[in-house]
Amino acid sequence: MSSPVPARAMRHPNPRNRRAAAVVGVGHTDWVRDWARCRNGERPNDSYGYALEALRNALADAKIGRDEVDGLIAGPTTAYERLGELSGINPRWGDQADAVLAVAQAVMAIEAGYAEVVALVYGNDQRSVGTQYGGPEAMGGNAFLSYVYHSPWGFTSQGALYALTLQSYKHARGFTEAEMGEVSVAQRGWSALNPNAIMRKRITLEDYLASHFVCEPLHLFDYCLINDGGVALIIAEAERAKRMTDRPVFIEGVGRFDLNRGATSLEPRIDDFYLPAQQSAAAQSYAVSGLGPKDMDILQVYDSFSVHVPLALEGYGYCAVGEAGKFLRESRIGPGGRLPLNTSGGHLSETYMQGWAHQIECVRQLRGECGERQVAGARHAHYTSDVAGKCFSVIYGR
Amino acid sequence: MSATAARPRPKIDPINRGFWENARAGILSVQTCDNCRDVHFPGSPVCPRCLSGDQSWTPVSGRGTLLSWVRFHRAYWDGFRAELPYLVCLVGLEEGPLLISNILETDPEKLVIGSPVEAVFETVDEELTLPKFRMRG
Ligand SMILES: [Zn+2]
Repeated sequence: MSSPVPARAMRHPNPRNRRAAAVVGVGHTDWVRDWARCRNGERPNDSYGYALEALRNALADAKIGRDEVDGLIAGPTTAYERLGELSGINPRWGDQADAVLAVAQAVMAIEAGYAEVVALVYGNDQRSVGTQYGGPEAMGGNAFLSYVYHSPWGFTSQGALYALTLQSYKHARGFTEAEMGEVSVAQRGWSALNPNAIMRKRITLEDYLASHFVCEPLHLFDYCLINDGGVALIIAEAERAKRMTDRPVFIEGVGRFDLNRGATSLEPRIDDFYLPAQQSAAAQSYAVSGLGPKDMDILQVYDSFSVHVPLALEGYGYCAVGEAGKFLRESRIGPGGRLPLNTSGGHLSETYMQGWAHQIECVRQLRGECGERQVAGARHAHYTSDVAGKCFSVIYGR
Repeated sequence: MSATAARPRPKIDPINRGFWENARAGILSVQTCDNCRDVHFPGSPVCPRCLSGDQSWTPVSGRGTLLSWVRFHRAYWDGFRAELPYLVCLVGLEEGPLLISNILETDPEKLVIGSPVEAVFETVDEELTLPKFRMRG
């Protein structure tokens, strides 16, 4: 089969957006506190309330007032106009985007001159309102979602899509159940060191293997949490960022490639596990930044399910294709391992903020403020995601 | 039993109606572009290859390969609860398109990826027949 990624996507892009913008402030809500409150039957806030609490914290972290913000990006779970109204921001440029696209859009707006200081704001009350990612009420029941379309056969839930992917991946690569378990065990190793993490109890490989299946071959520990919270970032034009703070975290490069054809019947997942799209996104971001996997001190992978991790290790060039299992066993990704990965605990163990909290973990690691889980001397952090076939690569550097 | 307590039924619309009518007659079909002959599933308003709006549901062999499978240990609808844990498969048809379905097999040890499978038809009621698969040979 010919590659679904055209050759032009592998060509070196014009590297003009290297270090054009930098993160100057980050903030989030206290999701440990709100997890306890939700479990107690309370509804601490709604999506807007969480988003605005995070924005307040990010502005304080950046030591700027709201009036310095001239660009606003709302996450996908709040209406852009309403979030704009409640935040009291009248921007000259605005957008709505998921986590990684929001970072890319902020860089693009800044580079194009449409904004100089962009606030990226996300809030989600998915736990307290009982958002369903499977079954009759899943995500509003949009029939185009593959887990809604295939429900007459009992096939539903986000997890089932990744369970099918993992089963096929195990067969294609000889990947084992125990190798999959390395991911959740390692991420709990990190979250045990993170006071902001919801799940901090260490688990062993034996705990993983003994845990129940939800949608086999996925165990309970392969699934992300579902919790309430909010995250915000302030991204500024590079020269202005240097005047605003002595510790800006630059966006070194962004790359993206999407695989859409055949998505409802899961072709791009099963055919090659998104590999060509990941490779294209990686190549673009590496060309822009002049960096590669060997330069990265930290890898943060969008992990709604643990199986994202081996796919990312192969797709973004951290190991040879087919060797993610060996890499997880021998090089290791937990504290003390060769490649610190999802150093907050990620979606599996820290908080499920749909990629947003991964961005602020990159920033905090590069600012050296991560306490016990700090990766010493970290200079570059790489974020990757492959949500629904949209493969992204974002490189942060100080 | 509430409306959502049973099993979900397909949402039949002008695009997928042909698939479900064929299934009731014991025929497995995929959408075929009358212009460029691209075959695909699920149905779409225009051909994803050439964007033509002229398409038909054409019968396929029903033969394919087992590409992946999962086993549900949780029921999202009460109608599936009695069958837990139940199997769902992904089949690659000889003609190209991929289908999600159920595999009529109780022993997961036998579900070797790459094995040949064939379509069978399970009559749910007068209006609905679900194409399913079984191991072949
Ligand atoms: Zn066509």
